Amino acid sequence: MQRFLDPAVLASISGLDLVAKTVVDGFVAGLHRSPDFGFSQEFAEYRAYSPGDDLRHVDWNVFARTERAFLKRYRGETNTLLTVLLDASNSMNFSSHSVNKMDYARFLAASLFYLANKSQRDAAGLIVFDDELRSFIRPSARQGQLHRLLSGLENAEPRARTNYGKPLDYFQNLLRRRGLVVVISDFYEAPEVIVKTIEPLRFHGNEVILFHVLDPREIKPQLGAPSILIDLETDEAMEVTPDYAHAEYVEKMDAHIAALRDRARASGLDYCLLVTDKPLDGALREYLNIRQGRF
Amino acid sequence: MGLLAPWFLAGTVLAGLPIYIHLLRKHSTTPQPFSSLMFFERRTQSSIKHRRLRYLLLLSLRLAVLLFLILAFANPFINRSAASMSSDKLLLVVIDNSFSMRGGSRLADARREALGVLESKRPSDHAQVMALGSQLHVLTEPTVDPGSLRAAVASITPGDSRASFGELASVLRSMVESVRTPIELHLFSDMQRSAMAANFQEMVLPASVTLVLHPVVKDAVPNWAVEGVNAPGEVWDPKKTRVQAVVAGYHTAAATRTVSLVVNGKTMAMRNVEVPANGRASVEFESLDVPYGFSRCEVKIDSADSLPADDASLFAVRRSDPRKVLFVHEANDTRSPLYFRSALVSAAESAFAVENVSVDQTGNLLPSKYSFVVLSDVLSLPSTFENALESYVKGGGNVLIALGTAGARRQRVPVVGDNILEARNYSREGQRFLNVGEADAAHPSVEKADHWAGVKFYFAVKVDDTNSRVVVRLSDQTPLLLDKNIGEGRVLLLTSGLDNLTNDFPLDPVFVPFIDQTARYLSGTESRASSRVVDSFLQLRSAKEQAISVEVVDPAGKRPLSLKEASSAQTYQLTEAGFYQLRLADGREDLVGVNPDPRESNLDVIPEDVLSLWRGNAHAQPAEAAAADVPDPVQKKPFPVWWYVMLVVLAAAVAESVFASHYLAIQREDS
Repeated sequence: MQRFLDPAVLASISGLDLVAKTVVDGFVAGLHRSPDFGFSQEFAEYRAYSPGDDLRHVDWNVFARTERAFLKRYRGETNTLLTVLLDASNSMNFSSHSVNKMDYARFLAASLFYLANKSQRDAAGLIVFDDELRSFIRPSARQGQLHRLLSGLENAEPRARTNYGKPLDYFQNLLRRRGLVVVISDFYEAPEVIVKTIEPLRFHGNEVILFHVLDPREIKPQLGAPSILIDLETDEAMEVTPDYAHAEYVEKMDAHIAALRDRARASGLDYCLLVTDKPLDGALREYLNIRQGRF
Repeated sequence: MGLLAPWFLAGTVLAGLPIYIHLLRKHSTTPQPFSSLMFFERRTQSSIKHRRLRYLLLLSLRLAVLLFLILAFANPFINRSAASMSSDKLLLVVIDNSFSMRGGSRLADARREALGVLESKRPSDHAQVMALGSQLHVLTEPTVDPGSLRAAVASITPGDSRASFGELASVLRSMVESVRTPIELHLFSDMQRSAMAANFQEMVLPASVTLVLHPVVKDAVPNWAVEGVNAPGEVWDPKKTRVQAVVAGYHTAAATRTVSLVVNGKTMAMRNVEVPANGRASVEFESLDVPYGFSRCEVKIDSADSLPADDASLFAVRRSDPRKVLFVHEANDTRSPLYFRSALVSAAESAFAVENVSVDQTGNLLPSKYSFVVLSDVLSLPSTFENALESYVKGGGNVLIALGTAGARRQRVPVVGDNILEARNYSREGQRFLNVGEADAAHPSVEKADHWAGVKFYFAVKVDDTNSRVVVRLSDQTPLLLDKNIGEGRVLLLTSGLDNLTNDFPLDPVFVPFIDQTARYLSGTESRASSRVVDSFLQLRSAKEQAISVEVVDPAGKRPLSLKEASSAQTYQLTEAGFYQLRLADGREDLVGVNPDPRESNLDVIPEDVLSLWRGNAHAQPAEAAAADVPDPVQKKPFPVWWYVMLVVLAAAVAESVFASHYLAIQREDS
């Protein structure tokens, strides 16, 4: 089933709903667990009755056999709120192979939506932003929500530049209920600025996951000769040498990733680096861990 | 330094091509999009410098390839002194070992002088030793090993061949095609005049050959020789056999010489002969009394000159009984046996004994006793004899049939059985006679008869020639002489007669060679020569006699042919003087006396002006100066260096290829 999580395979599948179903079914099958993921109320333990307890919770069958009153306790179940913040700036359009970063982010978001909506009955919403808020689909668990989300993803074409400050101010007004916030971006910004901008979401009691999507050539460029590079967001041209790209750039990028991870975790944000030539199961596993840990 | 073909420098305009490609065509790089330049720094200046340097290096390599290639075509040379080039030459030592070098100490002197030249050569100089006879024999490969060179010189022994300077020049002309270095040719010879080529142009040596002559004698010395012997190869009647010899004196005073005829080591006769000054005299021995079989004979003179080897001339004779010939004729025919016998006796020197019988005497004769049978103008034969004759022919016997006028009264040709079509009596017709229209000169019977021109034929019988080879036809296409194979034998059919009634053939001079050749053809004998000359070729087999082994025993008693050569060689070259014993492919034994070329006996030397002309043609220097081996220090010679320029071109081309392929690989990766 691993091949169904390969981004290159997913890129050949038309339709985000099919992609999401393929990813989630494949992932769940890989867990060797039932696809019915604990939605009914689950028995937790028995507790001796003490005065004042609600008699409706007494297990009368046990009382009939033992003449002792025990309360039957259940594990509480709640639904959470998943909001995906998708960076649709132009830098997400970069690709060195068949899947660019935007497609990979779409696959990831679609898979999360499918997992939340179909499996967990969670309410899910989408915010697409670049240097401003592009689109907002309010979180909901209603019928048809998944199709609205996937449609929003389809329409999220990369353009313009990234600016975390302006849209995040708006997010805080939108995200009034506590929930799970997933930020998918390539995070071409100083780690301090990113964390400082996203950190307020955490103050509202949200669990925040940063999915850092990068192309393998962004982490380790391969230049055979001095070349002119064009910045996808600013259209700035720069002639760079292979020596620099192979040495200093890699060091800077590694330092950037490390700084972002450290600062995010220091601020209580979860961080996950995703490379576009790797399968999506890492991201899904990270999501489920956080969700189970929280609830 | 100069250029031998400077007009090739016009090709330098091609150098503009790489300049155009590198400098005028602007190199463009396709920009590559990247997600963010946040972590990049501008390094433009260094990369452009790097690239420009690389372009300039590639450009210079390409320009170097072009310019050096053009320079190589312009054929540059540098002037080098002869001293600096001396190490590049090949020292070629040629020693004449022809027959005349047997005289006195000529060959020893030549070997000693050759060793002196080899001693004086530089250790790094390559040298080669050859021996000159009628052919040039290579004794060593070019080498610097003095031991092998000295051994090669010491191994040269006197030969019996005739020296040929034309052959020497021919070999050297082909040699310079493969040997690129200059050749310094040292020729050690007695400079015999007879060694010169008939045309001086054949002796001209190539320009890269420097000729240094080492004459071992200065002037001609007197010499006596038996120049030639005229003796028959076969003897049937010793008393009628004559031997003639010519005694020659070269640069000699008038003298009386004693000439001896020696047979099998025994002196049989002696004659004194007066030989004029520097002249010739002939002597004749009236008989040659030799035993049956082969005899080794020689004619020798007493001389005491410096070349005793040419004082005798060898020849071999074979004595045998005459072969019997049966001549059958009508009793009243007396002319044809007369003419036939007269012609055969005068031509074949008693080789054949003719037995004339009339037709009625043939009843008890056995044809197999005779070498061949002649039927002349016979009307009919006894049936027993005719049957015996047919069996004789089928078993390998040969018959000559002259139909004559009796043919007009027969229906068929005897023995042969072919139909007689008609009799043509030309004397009663308008033209009175006919001449020969065409003759097959390849047939042995008529090859020396000059087409029988002028012979008048009055009568001929026309026979069916379907299965016969027509040798001679009359002018009206009537077959006159036919050759037909029957079984193992052969029948030669003359449709006219052997008398002078049906033609005037017996009265014509061509009748004698016709009868002689026909008799030899039908008897299977050929005239053999009593002696041959060294270097002549002996035919060992005919084209039909393949894969039959022959045997040759040379004068030293050795068998020079290998087993393979003995079964396949067509000819054998007689390289030594003396007696050769042979067993030919047809089974015949033979003995051949071989003598040196008589021209080798004339020890006259080439005049100095001719030698100077020869040296001048070969760009030679005087022998004394060459022997000292001191090259003229001011003499400059152009030394072509295009080869080295081509090496530079090759190196530059390889470097350009490696560099350009690396660069192009980067371009592909970038794209």
